Amino acid sequence: MIQLEQVSKTFRGSRQPAVDRITLRVKQGDICVLVGPSGCGKTTLLRMINRLVEPDDGMITVDGRSIAQMDPPTLRRTIGYVIQQVGLLPHRTIAQNIALVPELLKWPREKTARRVAALLEMMDLDPGEVGHKYPHQLSGGQAQRVGVARALAADPPIMLMDEPFAAVDPIVRVRLQDQLLRLQQTMQKTICFVTHDINEAIKLGDHLVVLKAGRMVQSGTPLDILTQPENDFVLRLLGDDRGVKILDQTRAETLMDPFADAAAQAAANGHRVQAIDPVKIALERMMLMNTDEITVCEGARPVGLLRWNAIKAHVHRISGGAS
Amino acid sequence: MNFDTTLFLQALLHRAPGHIAEHLQLVLIPLTLAVLIAMPAGILLTRPAYRRQAERVMSVFNAGQTIPPLAVIALFFPFMGLGYGPAVLALTIYALLPIARNTVAAIASVPEEVKEAARGMGMTPGEIFFRVELPLSIPTIMTGIKTAAVLTVSTAVLAALVGGKGMGAIIFAGIHFFRFELVLAGTLYIGIMAISLERGLALLERKLTPPHLKSARRRGTI
Repeated sequence: MIQLEQVSKTFRGSRQPAVDRITLRVKQGDICVLVGPSGCGKTTLLRMINRLVEPDDGMITVDGRSIAQMDPPTLRRTIGYVIQQVGLLPHRTIAQNIALVPELLKWPREKTARRVAALLEMMDLDPGEVGHKYPHQLSGGQAQRVGVARALAADPPIMLMDEPFAAVDPIVRVRLQDQLLRLQQTMQKTICFVTHDINEAIKLGDHLVVLKAGRMVQSGTPLDILTQPENDFVLRLLGDDRGVKILDQTRAETLMDPFADAAAQAAANGHRVQAIDPVKIALERMMLMNTDEITVCEGARPVGLLRWNAIKAHVHRISGGAS
Repeated sequence: MNFDTTLFLQALLHRAPGHIAEHLQLVLIPLTLAVLIAMPAGILLTRPAYRRQAERVMSVFNAGQTIPPLAVIALFFPFMGLGYGPAVLALTIYALLPIARNTVAAIASVPEEVKEAARGMGMTPGEIFFRVELPLSIPTIMTGIKTAAVLTVSTAVLAALVGGKGMGAIIFAGIHFFRFELVLAGTLYIGIMAISLERGLALLERKLTPPHLKSARRRGTI
């Protein structure tokens, strides 16, 4: 668990603080996304967690230990770090790049080699083919996957990711995001992720922290923030399609009318979605089938009926009918 | 002016070779001294604590380059007199700049994101220097040393003027007595020395260059 307590930082030569009294807690196994426009202090905040930036004020603890007491290089070897420009060492092969932290930690050579091969497999890269290449021979997407593998090499409990997917093209970006989510299901790392892309934030985050000019504007789950934006700034950040985004974050079961009895259940029509599917998927199917209602199932068992009117009313209610 | 082949061959085969060892000494000693001074100085100038002084110190090295070697000898004449010592001193000062300048440029051109990532992975400043900055800088630093070497081979000819010996002895004798044959024989050896020294250093450079740059270069030339 990472905990920040009233953390502030003002860079020399600047009158305005880059980070202004931020208090924040990242739970074990969560992806916490720091989101906001450029210059909002999100990167500075992230870099304070591995002491690449020293706070002027406040306290940061990792698993209850104040990081100010730790030797910075030692601390950083226990925290994975991924940056937008990747920063692979150009004179080392991919395998050597991934082996960097294990090497610094003086792992036995065989253990390192096994770990490197396993990581390349995990990132869908062929160890035999890619391992001996040099960074300049990789595509942007491949390089960033190697960057993630390098950060994961010594199996750190914490990962810091600074706009890691911002520089790759949109198709590759979606693939990398999906891969991260898939890996996270088994890894359960505590991840701090910085982005300026609200869609990426909503997709990846268990918890979002919206920042503006060094201040925390709002924090909560993506659904919290989508349904109860704190102010106009957050509302604008969420974009013009807030309703659709909400439907993407809402499970079909929350808006359905549950079947009252077995008779209704038996009468269920043919079009189905799963209870945990987002409403957006249900909506997509309803439009494709040109129907106003769809059966919601748990596994093979029909449990309720989701109606177009219920969806419409839900979005209308949440956006306050206003705007 | 007629060309005396016998005199030329005599100079080429008997008189000049005796000066090769002297001349190489006049090159290798100043060059070694210059590397030992300019490389650490260049490295120091890229460290955070001294980075601000880099401009100023480099302008001192620049000034060293603009003073003609003979003027350096004249400047130090009251303390050191004439001969071998002042010649070595002048040549050393002359060779400092290319090495220092290339060292600073090489280390400064290591990509910021590479250093940032290395730091973020938990490398200490020493590890970053020896495992990242230095290996990536070797080709450019070696280019500076090659430049200095070729420069020193030709400049060392002037040492003969102050009694410092070397291949210059033959060349200046030729100039004095209007014996073009002597000048040609001496110059030929200067050329051979410059080329072989440059080739030798290029071989060393190739050995020290990180492999990813080698493959890039190969592709570039084909």
